[in-house]
Parts: sequence; structure tokens; C-alpha cells
Amino acid sequence: MKSYALKPFLKYISRKFIFLLVTYFIAITIVFILPRAIPGNPLSTLLRQIFQQGQANPELIRSVHKTLMEEFGLGKPWYEQYIDFVTRAFRGDFGTSISSYPKKTLELIIPVMPWTLMLLIPSIITAWIIGNTLGAIAGYKRGSFTDRFTLNFSLIVSQIPYYWLGMLLIFTLSVKLHIFPGQGGYSQGTIPTFTLKFILDMLYHYILPFLSIVISALGGWAIGTRVLVIYELDADYVNFGELLGLKEKTVFRYIFRNSILPQVTGLALSLGGALGGALITEIIFNYPGTGYLLFRALSTLDYPLIQGIFIILIGSIYLANFFVDFLYALIDPRIRLGQSEGS
Amino acid sequence: MNRPVLQIENARAYYIVENNYVRAIDDISIVIREGEVVGIVGESGSGKTTLSNVMLMNIKRPLSLIDGKVKLYSNGNVIELNKLSREELQKNIWGKETSIIPQSAMNALMPTKKIKDSILDVMKTHFEEIHEKEIIEKVQARFEEVGISKDVIFRYPFELSGGMKQRAVIAIATLLNPRFLIADEPTSALDVSTQKMVLKTIQDLREKEIVKSIAFITHDIATVRQIAETLVVMYAGKIVEISSIEDIIKEPLHPYTRGLLFSVVTPEPEVKKRGIYYIPGTPPNLMYPPPGCRFHPRCEYKLDICDKEEPKLKDVNGRKVACFLY
Amino acid sequence: MWLAMFKPLFKSKKFLISILIFIFIVLLGLVGPILYPVDPTSYAGPFERPPSREFPLGTDTYGGDLLAKVLNGTKTSLYIGFLTAVISMSIGIIIGPISAIKGGVVDEILMSFTNIVLTIPNILLAILIATYLKVRSAEVIAFLLGALGWPWFARAVRSQLLSLINREYVKLSRMAGYNDLRLAFEDLIPGIATYAFMSFILFINGGILGEAGLSLIGLGPTKGVSLGLVLQWAVLMEAVRRGIWWWFVPPGVIIVALTSSLLMITTAMDEVFNPRLREK
Repeated sequence: MKSYALKPFLKYISRKFIFLLVTYFIAITIVFILPRAIPGNPLSTLLRQIFQQGQANPELIRSVHKTLMEEFGLGKPWYEQYIDFVTRAFRGDFGTSISSYPKKTLELIIPVMPWTLMLLIPSIITAWIIGNTLGAIAGYKRGSFTDRFTLNFSLIVSQIPYYWLGMLLIFTLSVKLHIFPGQGGYSQGTIPTFTLKFILDMLYHYILPFLSIVISALGGWAIGTRVLVIYELDADYVNFGELLGLKEKTVFRYIFRNSILPQVTGLALSLGGALGGALITEIIFNYPGTGYLLFRALSTLDYPLIQGIFIILIGSIYLANFFVDFLYALIDPRIRLGQSEGS
Repeated sequence: MNRPVLQIENARAYYIVENNYVRAIDDISIVIREGEVVGIVGESGSGKTTLSNVMLMNIKRPLSLIDGKVKLYSNGNVIELNKLSREELQKNIWGKETSIIPQSAMNALMPTKKIKDSILDVMKTHFEEIHEKEIIEKVQARFEEVGISKDVIFRYPFELSGGMKQRAVIAIATLLNPRFLIADEPTSALDVSTQKMVLKTIQDLREKEIVKSIAFITHDIATVRQIAETLVVMYAGKIVEISSIEDIIKEPLHPYTRGLLFSVVTPEPEVKKRGIYYIPGTPPNLMYPPPGCRFHPRCEYKLDICDKEEPKLKDVNGRKVACFLY
Repeated sequence: MWLAMFKPLFKSKKFLISILIFIFIVLLGLVGPILYPVDPTSYAGPFERPPSREFPLGTDTYGGDLLAKVLNGTKTSLYIGFLTAVISMSIGIIIGPISAIKGGVVDEILMSFTNIVLTIPNILLAILIATYLKVRSAEVIAFLLGALGWPWFARAVRSQLLSLINREYVKLSRMAGYNDLRLAFEDLIPGIATYAFMSFILFINGGILGEAGLSLIGLGPTKGVSLGLVLQWAVLMEAVRRGIWWWFVPPGVIIVALTSSLLMITTAMDEVFNPRLREK
């Protein structure tokens, strides 16, 4: 990259970075404020409940209570609580879990994160690629049977929630036809190891949750890209290119490339929703990821764990967001070299 | 008279919209000869852009060539373009034998590729094997010929100014020295000084024999006068007059040509003394064109016959006009 | 004027089919519980019975009548969807135009706020907030989803209005001394009416799907029945792995039919009102 080209790129990237940092900060603040702002402060209610249950194991309960009092800083002025909370959050300390006391929440989250990432990232990228390709072909052949079929298929598929598709897949392919296992990340009774046998077993369990995310996510991409391609079909560069004798294949490649670019930023924006869907899919599949941990935390009202999961998930989404924006700036020369606004 | 380069015979090209025909080109015949710049003028909606698509046989739905022939004369051979498939046109004709400077050069270049790469893509469709280095040298020479720096090919389109982009488009359109070039309102989006420069560039193309003949499409007689010898006046999908520029400026025959000439915003000196003028009414809906002469509802010289019979293009003192007055 | 405008819609087969499906489901939700007056929360029947004449959609683990649950759940889900849409639309229709008309600092502040809400993953935030609410009525769920769903709409409204504002007739109104409010209601809002209508439909979808998502995580409405709650209990009771398809299939079918018919309605409208998308 020549030096004259570097400036707009850095400007774009640093603006994105600052924006995400500020938003992350706000998200952490919301996590802090929420339990304290809701009438009846659920945190103190929780503490009181724990205290009242103290008969069963007074020793343990007392120490849980002590840890929580310290960590939530209840009783201290709010600004001290806040500064405490933010510094801890940036250090990666999200407090101690109640349901798995005395484990730190981070200790519980770290082992489950890879499962979620392994499920989410390949599936949304696969859905993005297949969906955009389908949409581009449909748009390019606008009005044809292929187009109408793809459009209607995508419209319906895009409205199927990941998790419900997951239920249907479990019911048909697992319960009825016994083709795939219907739950878990690996066979019960095995211990995760780096052996070929275990990896194959894991992949076998991976197929259904993966498919339910891919299938229900690709419809939305197909619909979006189809419209983008239709707009692009009338673009002047397409007409000019054709009349210079460009091959149909090349013209399609041009259109595809230009329609897909806005979908790259679309990918960044869709991550949050996709993650939400994936968490629920994990619950349906009893998949050992963050969704399942969150579900357990919610049913035991383990607030520190819930908070920790949130801060980490939102942080990862922003990281991914930034990565996608970075990629986008690299592949779109108009951003990289700084196209003047409005042209 | 010079040999013909492109000939259109009795072409009808209609847009098919909800089972109706929009008669955008209705029985038109034109011959464009070697060394000639032909101006094609008319209001918007007169069918001039459709005509440019017919000339290249760039017929895409909803447009359809109902009738007629489009012949290209190439090294003694006659190629009937209307008989070729789109693939054949793309491979053997477009970009090679014919080319176009499009209406909106501003967005005519692939926005996310370097100009060099777009050009290489075009070359790849015309030649089995390409030598990148050789091509780039040739292209750079052509870029300098049209008056822009040779480094421009290493830029992205959005890095160029309007005038630069327009000339880059001209250079790219004529890389393979096409026999026949269409310039479709190439100056309408530019400011006056850039307009002059672009007109000069187009003139040079013919003088240097990069292209043999040019069809210059515009709504503006004042522009076309600076470059064309022959003028074809279109109205509502028909040719109403064909004549040399001088004759038309001196004495327009068809009432529509007269109206068009008188209503020029920056009048020619000869015209100026007649005062500012406009043609009353609007062009007809080509789905339901008026019977007889299509201009009769707006014509101040209308005769009884005008709404009953269609006037044919006939010779009047070596000029051609479609009007019952002559 | 409105009638004439919507007339071409009724020529679209896609529009007709989808609106019929939509109306059918709305009737299921509104009229169904009256025609089939079984208490969805009672434990009346035998356990986990497949569909029969007595229980058209079978029963669940507690002997609850699933048809009654699905009918009443449809009603709740529609209600939540509609309320969500009203809330999102109200916020968007205030922020978008103010941003566009006022411009300057106001625009910048409102748009930064909008972008921040847009970037915070709203389903996650909804989960977090719902966690702390002991009692969650249908209205609370709708409010949550509505309050987080508006940003894309506000942004789109703003950019559409900005292109309208530069048109001649709006400039004339400004010169004629219209105040901002009058300008908004007389010149601008009508220009985005179809877009707003289509967005409203998409917001309904967001509400229905959002409720189902929250419920499945265990954060749905704390009383009553909704389609999401039916699904949640099906999951909790392992209905899928035990093959009790009549428990989880019908609510899912209704959700998908409802939201995809609504989405089809908007695409059909888009094809009719947006000439560039019209099939050639």
C-alpha cells in the first residue's frame, strides 16, 4: 500500500474503533445500572434470600454472602461501586459465581466459549456465502423461475427461527430416522480429547445445530443481495461493460462483487442477532456452549455469572464487528482510499 | 459517396409493457458512411437512445426488435447484426467493431477495480491470449492521445475528476479502433469548458482515423453542429428529416426541425434574430401514437391529410424530409 | 386516494395469498378462543395425548389442551407483536424526522444515540433486562422489544427525509413560513408513508420472534400463554426428543406462517411501489 493511501484507511479504522470502545463502555454501564435501577433491587433481594437460606450450610452461605457484598459493593456510594465495577470488568474479573461457588465466573465461561464460537462462526459464514450467492443468482436472473423460487424459499426460510428449525431437525433426522445424534456436543460418557475418534464424534454432533443455523440464516442474506443485485443490474458500468464485449461471466462477477460489499458490513451488524439465535439453539441441542451456561445461570438466578456472560459476549461481538469493518476497509477501495462523501 | 459502415433498414423496435407496444423506433432506415459524423437529434423520448441500442443490437427485454435489419460493413463483408446472438455480438462485435461512449461516463467504469484491471478484463474477452505488459503500454499511449496522464490507469475511477473520467471512458471505448462509434449525449453532464475539450477529443478520434464513423446523439443542436456533417432529426420514434448541417441551419424543412432549431437555448447567430421560440405541446405517448403524421397535434402547418396518412421520407432538393408540405 | 394507491396491490398474487394467510391467523387468534372456549391454563385432560376428536391438537405433560394454548398464544403473540411495532414506530418516527429537519448538533446527537442502540446487540440486552424483572407481563415484553428495535427505522426515515427535504415543494413550504411540525406532517411524513407501513409490519415480526426467543430462554411473559411459552414448555419437557410433535410443531408453524406472510406482504408492496424491483 502506498503511503498516500494509508491516511483515509487509518482514519476510518480508528473512528470505528473509538465508536466501538465507547459503545462497549456504555454496554458495561448498562450492565452495572440495570439491577440497581430496577425497583426492589434484585441484587439485595438475592442476598437476603441467600442469607435466609443460611440454615442448611451456614458456613458456606456466610462466605457467599460476604463475597457478594464485596463484589457488588452494596452499601458503598454508587460511584465507588461503578468505578470498582468498570476496573474489574476491564481486568476480566466479573465476580464469583453463586451457583458454582467459589468459582470465578470467568473460569466457567472460558471453557464454554470455544463451543459457541465453533458453532457460530462457521455457520454464519457458510450462511452468508450460500445466501449471498443464491441471492445474486436470483437477482441476476430477475423474473425467472429460479428467481421466484429462490425469493419465496428465502422469504419463508428467513422467518424460521434457528431454534425451531433445530427442533424439527432433531425430531425428523434424529428421533424418527436416527441419522444424527439429537443432543450434546459429543457422545455422553466420552471425555474431550484430541483424538481422531473424538473429533469425528464431535463433528457428528455438530451437523444438526450447524445446519439449523445455516439454513435459517441464509434466507435473509439471499433476499438482501437479490435486491442489491437488481439495483446494480441497471448500473452504468454494467451497460458500458457489456457494450465493450465483456463476457456475461465477468459482468456477473462485477455485479456480485459490488453487491456483496455492503453485505460485509451487514454481517457485522447481524452478529448480535445471530448470537442470540445461536444461544437458544444451544439450549435446544443441550450443546455445551455459552447459551447452555447462560440458561443454567438464568434458572439459578446466578446474577454475577449472567453479568459476566453478557460483558464477554458483547465484547466478543464488538471485537468481531471491528474485525469485519477492518476487512471491509481492506477490500473496498472506496473506503481504503477515501472516496469523497456524496459521490 | 463513401462506402457505408453501418446501415439500418426498416427497423421497428418496441418496448413490450403489459401486453402493449411502446413504438420507440418505428420503421427507421439510416446509412452511416465511412468518415462521417452523423448527428442524431430529438427531444427526450424521441427514441434516440433506443436507436443507439438498435444500432448495436443491444436488445434487452422489454425492448424487442420487431422488424428490420442492422448491417455492419466490415472489410468488404456484410454482417447482419440482427442475426447474431448476444454471445456472438459480445465476442466479435462489441468493443471491437462497434463501441459507445455512454450517456453517463461518471459511473461507466467498474467502481471497485483499478482502471487497468477493467481494461484487462475487456481484452480477455476478445483475445485468447493477452500480454499484459504490451496491452498496458498500448493503453497508456491511447490515454496520452486523449490527453490524460498514463498513470491514470493505475487509479480507481472515484479518484478521477469528471473530465478525466469522461476522457478515460473515451480512451477505453476506442482501444480496439472500432469502425463505428456511438457517442450518446457525451457532454450533457459536463460544464462548458470540459464539454469543449471532450468534443475536441471526439473529433480527434476521427481525424486520427481511430474510428471510421461516429453517430453523435444529442438533444442539443448547438453541440452537434460543432462536430457533425449530417443531421438526422427524430420525432416520436420516426425520422422526420435528414440533411446536411448547413442546409438545416439555413433552411429547416420539417416544421418540427424548425421548432427545434428556433427553441435552442443558446441560439445560433442566424437563428437569433427570429427570437426565442418553443414548440407547444408535448411529445405523444408512444403506446398510442397519433394517426397519420405523429407531429400533427403540435404542428402549426397542419393540413387535412396530416392526421389521416403517414408521410414518407422523400427527396426534396437532395435532402430528405417526411412532411406533406413538400 | 389511498384506495387508488393500493389498487395495484390486489393484482399481485403474492400479496393476495399472504394477506389471506395473515387474516386467517389473526382470526385464529381473535375469534378462535371464543369459538373454542377452553381454559388454556387448566389441567383438564389426560397427559400427552396425541390429537384426537376430543383434543384436536392433543395435550401436554400436565394435560393442558394444546389447541386452547395455541389459539390463546396466537392472540398474545399478535398482541405483543403489534404493541412492539407501535412502540418502535413511535420512537423512530420521532427521532428520524427531528434529526432530519433540525440537522446540525441535534442530528449528530440523535444519530450517535441511534447508532449506539443499533450496535448494542438488542436480543442480548433484552435478555439481560428481562432477567431482573420478576414479573413480566405481555406489555413489558413488548415494551422491551419495542424500545430496542427502532434504530434501523429511525436511520432509514432520516435519510429518506433528507432526500425529500431538498425537493422543490418542501423548499417552497419553508419559504412560505411553515414551522417544523407542519412541514413534517404535511410535506414529509406522507412521502414516507408506505415505507413506514412496511416497517411497521417488520416490527410486528420482530416482536413475535423476539417474544418466542425470550420465552425459550425462560424469560417470556410470566403469566398467560404465548406461542413462545408453549415452545418453551415443549423444550423443558423434552417434547422433541420424546416425539411429542403435536406440542412443538403447531406453535412453530403459526409463528413461521404469520411472520413470513407479513414479510411477503411487504415484498409484494415493494414490488408494486418500487418500480426498480418490478418484474420486467
